[in-house]
This record gives sequence, C-alpha cells and structure tokens, in this order.
Amino acid sequence: MRALPDLPGLREPPPLLPRLLLLCLLAAVRRSWADGNTTGSPLTSLPIREEMMTKYSNLSVESHNISLTASPLTSLPIQEEMTTKYSNLSLERHKFNVSLTEHSSEPVEKNITLERPSDIELTCQFTTSGNVNSINPTWKKGDEQLKGYRVTATGNILHTQYRFIIDSNKQMGSYSCLFEEEKEQRGTFNFRVPEVQGINKPLITYVGDSTVLICKCQHCSPLNWTWYSSNESVQVPVDVRMNDKYAINGTNANETRLRIMQLSEADKGSYWCHAVFELGESQERVELVVLSYLVPLKPFLGIVVEVVLLVSVILFCEMYTQKKKMHTDDGKEFEQAVQLKSDDSNGIENNAPRNRKNVSYFQMIF
Amino acid sequence: MAKGARVRSSSPPDGGWGWMIVAGCFLVTICTRAVTRCISIFFVEFQTYFTQDYAQTAWIHSIVDCVTMLCAPLGSVVSNHLSCQVGIMLGGLLASTGLILGSFATSLKHLYLTLGVLTGLGFALCYSPAIAMVGKYFSRRKALAYGIAMSGSGIGTFILAPVVQLLIEQFSWRGALLILGGFVLNLCVCGALMRPITLQEDQTTPEQNHIGRTQKPDFQRVSPCSTLTKKWVQTCLCCSLQQEYSFLLMSDFVVLAISVLFMAYGCSPLFVYLVPYALSVGVSHQQAAFLMSILGVIDIIGNITFGWLTDRRCLKNYRYVCYLFAVGLDGLCYLCLPMLQSLPLLVPFSCTFGYFDGAYVTLIPVVTAEIVGTTSLSSALGVVYFLHAVPYLVSPPIAGWLVDTTGSYTVAFLLCGFSMIFSSVLLGFARLVKKMKKTQLRFLAKEPDPKLQLWTNGSAAYSVARELDHRDEQSVALTVPGPSPT
Repeated sequence: MRALPDLPGLREPPPLLPRLLLLCLLAAVRRSWADGNTTGSPLTSLPIREEMMTKYSNLSVESHNISLTASPLTSLPIQEEMTTKYSNLSLERHKFNVSLTEHSSEPVEKNITLERPSDIELTCQFTTSGNVNSINPTWKKGDEQLKGYRVTATGNILHTQYRFIIDSNKQMGSYSCLFEEEKEQRGTFNFRVPEVQGINKPLITYVGDSTVLICKCQHCSPLNWTWYSSNESVQVPVDVRMNDKYAINGTNANETRLRIMQLSEADKGSYWCHAVFELGESQERVELVVLSYLVPLKPFLGIVVEVVLLVSVILFCEMYTQKKKMHTDDGKEFEQAVQLKSDDSNGIENNAPRNRKNVSYFQMIF
Repeated sequence: MAKGARVRSSSPPDGGWGWMIVAGCFLVTICTRAVTRCISIFFVEFQTYFTQDYAQTAWIHSIVDCVTMLCAPLGSVVSNHLSCQVGIMLGGLLASTGLILGSFATSLKHLYLTLGVLTGLGFALCYSPAIAMVGKYFSRRKALAYGIAMSGSGIGTFILAPVVQLLIEQFSWRGALLILGGFVLNLCVCGALMRPITLQEDQTTPEQNHIGRTQKPDFQRVSPCSTLTKKWVQTCLCCSLQQEYSFLLMSDFVVLAISVLFMAYGCSPLFVYLVPYALSVGVSHQQAAFLMSILGVIDIIGNITFGWLTDRRCLKNYRYVCYLFAVGLDGLCYLCLPMLQSLPLLVPFSCTFGYFDGAYVTLIPVVTAEIVGTTSLSSALGVVYFLHAVPYLVSPPIAGWLVDTTGSYTVAFLLCGFSMIFSSVLLGFARLVKKMKKTQLRFLAKEPDPKLQLWTNGSAAYSVARELDHRDEQSVALTVPGPSPT
C-alpha cells in the first residue's frame, strides 16, 4: 500500500523576460512623412507637432520596435523640420501591418494592447490585379475621416501608411484603412488597454472570516489600482481608511490584493478592481458570497445522523445473532455431550474403521 | 481479547460475514488512503488564504502520511488489547475530530496539528486492524478479498477527487473540511462491522493469557502495595507485548522487513515525478494528467484481477513468488523508463507499472500472513506499514535532489529500479535458501516424515503435507485419488 505524495500543482512557466530596450532610432533614420494629401502644405501641421514635442520632451527614453512586417517605402520629399523636431522625442515606437487582397471577403482585424503613450505607425498593404492608381485608400477612426496618411505603390501592391501619437484615452479606439468603396476592403486596428484577470468563480466565505480578493494583469504594470464595491449598478469606492476592515496591498505591480476582515452578510456582492493606465482604465469583477456556518452544518449533521443509525443497527444485529447462536450453541453442546458419552462407550469399535482405512491404502501401494 | 461472545468457528469462513468485512475494509481504505490523497486538492486554497508558498502547505500531506504509517503499530496494539471494533471506532472519531477542528483553523500551524497529526493518528488506528481482520475471515479466497479491499484507495480517489472539488466550490475549504470530517466518521460504521472471530490457531493464546492472568490474584494477595501492582502491570504488559511481537525474531519476517524497506523506497517517487518527467520529454499537460489517470485506473484493475488470479488453485501455493515477480517487474519498468521519451511509449509503461503496482499491494498482507500466521497478522501488518513510512518520506526528496544535481531523471529512476529489483531478489534468495535447508534436513534426518512414506509421488506428498499443516484431516479426501474413505 503506498501513499501517493500527490503532484505538486504544476508550476507556471517563468515570466517572460522584459524586452531589451533598443536605442531610439529616430535620429538615425530618415523619415518620410505624408502631411495630409499631396496638396496639403507642410506648414499647417507644424504648430501641432511643436506642441506635442514640448509636451513629450521630458519623457524617459524607451523604444522598442514591434515591427511585424517591413513595408517597402519609397521616400517622398522629407520634411526636414520634422526630423529635427522628432529627434528629441522618446516615445515607444510601434509599427503594425495588415495585408489585404481584392479577394478578401472578410474584414481583417488586429487587436493591440497598449499601456503607455506611443508613437504608432499603421501600414495597410493591398494587392490587386487591376490598376493600382485607380484605388483611393482612406483612413478612418470610427466614422471620422483621418488626414495625414501616405500612399505608395510598387507594382501591384498599394501601401498606405498612417502615423500618429496616442497619448490619451481619446486616441484609443479603432483605426481602419479602406480600399474600394463599392466592394469594401477594410483593415482594422483595435487599440485597447491591457485586460485585468480576476477569479471567474464566486468566492465563498463565512461570517466572521476574512478573505482576499485578487486581481492580476499579465505583462503589464498599471499606474494605480482602485477597488469599488457595487450593489446592483452603482459602483462605490471601497473605504480604505477603515483599517480593521479593509487592507489593500500587492506584492508586484501587476497584482493587487484586497483583504476584507470580519465579514458579514452585508459584505456580499460584486467587487470591481480598476487598473489605471495613462491611456485608460480596465476593470474586472469579483463576486463575493458570504454564508453562515449553518449552511455546511446541515449536510454534516445529516451524515452524523446516518452514521449513528448505521452503527446502532449493525451492533444490534450483532447482539441479536450472537444471542441466537448462544441458544443454538447450548442445544448443540447438549447434543455433543450426549454423543461423546455414546462415543466413549463405543471407543474401541471406532478405532477399527480407521485402521482398516490405512491398511487398505497400504495395500493399494505395495 | 475478543469483545462480546465468542464466534465459534474453527476455520476462516471464506464468505458469509466475511464479505461484510471486505466491504468494511474497502470503506476504511477509501476513508483513509483516498482522503489523504484528496487533501492535496486543498493546497491551492490554503496557499491563497494563508499566503504561503507550496512547500509550506505540502507539509500537511507529508505529516498525515508519515503519522499514519509511523503509528500503524500503535493501531495494531490498541486493537489487540481492546478489540478491533473499539480500535477502529476510536480511530474514526479521532480522524473526524481532526478534520472538524481543521475547518476552524486560523493559521497553517493549526492545520499541521489538527489535519496532520490528529487525523493521521486516527487513520493509523483504523488501517492495519481492518486489513488484518480480512485475513482472519478468508483463507481460500484471501487474495481476492484483499484485492477488493485494497482497490478502495484507487476507486476512492477517483470518486472523491471531483466530489472534494465540488465541495470546495460550494462551501469553500472550511465547509469542505467540515463535511469531509463527517464523511470520515463513517469509519465508525466500518468499525462496527468488524465482528471478532476466534480461529482454531487462536485457541492456544487465550490459554497462555489466562496463565499470565492467574498470577495476578497471587500478587495482590501477597502485598497490596501499589508499587508491586505497578510492577505486575508492567510484567503483564511486557509478557503480552513480547508474545505479540515474537514474530520479529523470525528470520523470514526480518527478510520481508528489509525487502519492504527497499520496495517502499523504490515505489513512491514515480507518482511524484512521472508528470514532470513526461513534461520534460515533451508531453503536454493534458496528456501527462491522462498518464496519471491511466496509472490509477489500471492500479485498481491490478488489485482485483491479480487477487483473483493468485487465488486460483494453480497459483495459490506460489503467492510468494507472484509477489516478488510483481515487485521485480516494477523495478524492470523503472529501468526502462529513461529510454521512453514519447507518449506512445509512456502509455504502455503506465499500464504495466500500474498493474503490477496494484498486484503487489494486494499481496503484501497475504505474504505477511503466510509468514507470521493470522494471530500476529495485525501486529505484523503494523510493523510492515511502519517500515513504509521512512522510505516514503525520504525517497521523493532524494530523487528530487538527484534530478537537480544531475539535470536529468535517469539516475533517480535507475536507483529506484535497482532498489525494487534488490528487494525482489532478496526475497527470492531467502526462499531458495530456505528450500535448500529444508531438503537438506529431510535428507539428513534419520526418521523420515511418516506422511511422506505413504506416497510414491514426492511432489504430491509435499503439497499434501502442507495442506495438512493448515487444514483438518478432511482435506486428505480431496487430494487422494482412489477409493473414497468409508
């Protein structure tokens, strides 16, 4: 018989190492920007860019390049002013690419999670058998038309690029590139803040007990975590000043724990954890159920009653059968005593048959 | 000794109330072994609630296992001196108290004491007496009875694991522990089922006890001093303990004990390291879990079918050989394991290992009974399970250390394989030596055994002689061909 020292819960794979930070390449690479359509003048957009530059000049250096596919660019006349202005900017730089053909029946979508303000470059690539020059690509954010995108063509492939900066919640959303108005070929980029994971199942606790509600966010570090409790629809922030009731702490930046002590029936309901990012918020719901001790006590008492009943039935049966046996045994003993007496008188005779048996076997062998 | 009136039977009934005993033992194995395994389902909950890491919570399981095995001799002593029924009922009460108190725990240390020590002690008081009881009620179908009784751990784990998970989801771990405590209270029902039985070979012992006890009134008459009565108590206890544990000096038993040590060392790491090994050779998580369930299910099948097989007339006299064959095969499987690097190879390994693992588990009580006889079976089983405890504790960490230092599982598995093969070889060697000594003695003895003279066929004589050792003269009628006795 062996004891099964049971399996340790399979451990999670070690967290991915953070990506190595690459040096900002802005100063080294010559950029080409399309300022509006071919007719637009470069100067009109300058003042806006300047504003942005001063806003973000004190951002810390970080740049990583998540380039999915390189898009061949043919350089148009470059706005020199732009490069000098952007050489001081140190935002995250992200490039995203989507490929379409004229035969794509379904719209192509890409979901992107973004935490920090970034410099985004979206590229759509359209392959067609017809005339590239007859297609006019456009960019939209939701329903709103966008300006400032670039169009290039090489052979049968049409490229269109839109570059912009996301720095607040207003700029998050869906950006689409559109080709051919009649048979709409659309590529969409959905920008969202990272999602938060809580516990899917309701948390069961008991009156007077304490519990821990956990919210986690994988591969992200929010600026702040806040907790709300809600009954029905209204979300009310959790009053953290009550130190003997609530305590919020988290071991890492990507998780938060709300500890609730001295639970009562009034504490049950939904709790929301909010992860606050620069570009928005994401939330998750954790449900808390508070039971009284009577709830598990009922099945327990049921089992105890069943055990007591079975034990008494079995012991009663045992006593009954033993009493019966003792009566029959007394009868048997009497009979055996009688038999023994008769055997004693016939003792000599009884030995004979046994001897006869052995003799016959001897004869069988020899 | 036996509580209540004696059941007058001179030989094991091999049926009748014996099947109720088997059912009771089945339930005991469910409530002890299966519940021990299911405790690990609570670990995730404990980790979140008490904010401790896995190593701290895993101690609970080790403590329960260790205490259950270490206190197994205590269980047999209690049931020998009070009665099997009282012993198992007491164990049931203790175990369920431990679980109920554990449901109110406020720290991990409380759980170590209640869930670990108290529950483990309760289980220890139940386990070996129940198994010994089965041996008393069966002789012809002993292995089958043991197979059915021992399959409780596998079937119990299979059923209890999802049930415990459901309980945790409905009532959280506190409510689940409370209800599990109620479930374990069913051990008292099993205890009530264990009607005492006095066998023919037990008739000698009550007389010896009686002799020991008749000295008591003499002592009391000579000096009513309290110190002397204490001395009497000690001598009486010493006497009975000496008599109970006299089998410890038997060479057969010593050999069995040493082989059990090595066998227990070998068998435990597989259940801990099969899944990590499978994952390391590229098997996915679900497939690795599937391997473990195959192991569990085939274990149950091995329990029952091997028990039935070794009850067949052809194998009945070779139970010892079957036991060491099963252990040896398991060792061989271990040796092959480092060469199996993919799922299609690991599945047959799981099936084979699981089957023979179930097989030898069924035969441990049978082999022990053959060596020590049914009177001391309870105490002997206590000692055998006690010897399981230390290797179970020590073996997985040693295997883990070997895996960490060498970087692969090969050395650990090879060590376990050789340990099991050594255990089986030791037993085979001991049996061989015993046979040679017997034939030598018979050769050298001037007066040959009168029973042997009667029959020309030497092997039939040997088997008849054995049969006569164990049974009444009526068995002669079964083996003798020719004219039936008048």
